Amino acid sequence: MSSVKEITISKQTVPIFAVVILALIFAFGLFLVGYDQGHLFSVVIGEQAYEDLYLHELGHDMRHAAGFPCH
Amino acid sequence: MRQLLFIGIVLVSGFSAGVILGLINFVTTEPFLDRAIELENKANFESGEEKDTPQFRAEYNDYRYWQKSGMVLAGGIFGLGVGSLFGIVFGLSRDVLPGKHHVQKALVLSGLMWFTIFMMPFFKYPANPPTVGEPETVVLRAVLYLSFIAISGFGAVGFYQLYKRLEKNRKFVAFVGYVAFISIAFVLMPSNPDKITAPMDLVNGFRIMSAFSVSLFWFANAIILGSLWQRFQPDARIKFEKH
Ligand SMILES: [Zn+2]
Repeated sequence: MSSVKEITISKQTVPIFAVVILALIFAFGLFLVGYDQGHLFSVVIGEQAYEDLYLHELGHDMRHAAGFPCH
Repeated sequence: MRQLLFIGIVLVSGFSAGVILGLINFVTTEPFLDRAIELENKANFESGEEKDTPQFRAEYNDYRYWQKSGMVLAGGIFGLGVGSLFGIVFGLSRDVLPGKHHVQKALVLSGLMWFTIFMMPFFKYPANPPTVGEPETVVLRAVLYLSFIAISGFGAVGFYQLYKRLEKNRKFVAFVGYVAFISIAFVLMPSNPDKITAPMDLVNGFRIMSAFSVSLFWFANAIILGSLWQRFQPDARIKFEKH
């Protein structure tokens, strides 16, 4: 491969910006699948979200399958 | 490092592996979930809370359809989350991980993280199907589970720091240290308070399938991320680049 010659591997550190973004996505994803009980939709559609538990039900089977405590 | 490329690789890997997890679950855990929820229905019929009418069945099927349709999407979100954590750690540790190829490096790290933040917590607080678990204890169980993940994960990071400082022929001390540390935590942490009333073959079958599926996720995520990293080299710099 000719491209090998053009590339040098430099041991660059991970940019802090990328770490922060990924850490936020980690927290968000874990919360959504593992712990959300309607909190997130309640921001948009109000208290009704807690009764309908849309996200909870949508993430429900995965929550059990991935080993999170559920009901 | 080209950070958007780095973030992109991490998210694509996590999401793809998560979708694979969601699809696999239709075959592995869903049959057990269906059985478990049917047991809940039976209990509700017997207590008189619900009646086994065609109307109940129609609503129940809609409800289960919604839950099942979420499996793939929720898998993707789970994958984005866990994959992001894996990406951060991989980015920070890639130079010290053994292996020439990035798939090898990713598999080594994935194996370590799988063991410390998935398998160890799983042994202590194994997954449970519906019908197992009191609603009143769900917050306590969530806190216990998350704490054990944190204890094991940070413990592993701590013993890695020790590992780096040890002489070559004493490095095993760090492994022994982690095993002792996690064994103590295992014994000291309170157990899941809920009694299991469901049939044990259902619970055990579900647990095996759950552990198998999530393990597959860690494997797939490592393979995909390692391959993408090898292909796109987000930390490589092209010589003679224009200024
Ligand atoms: Zn549940």
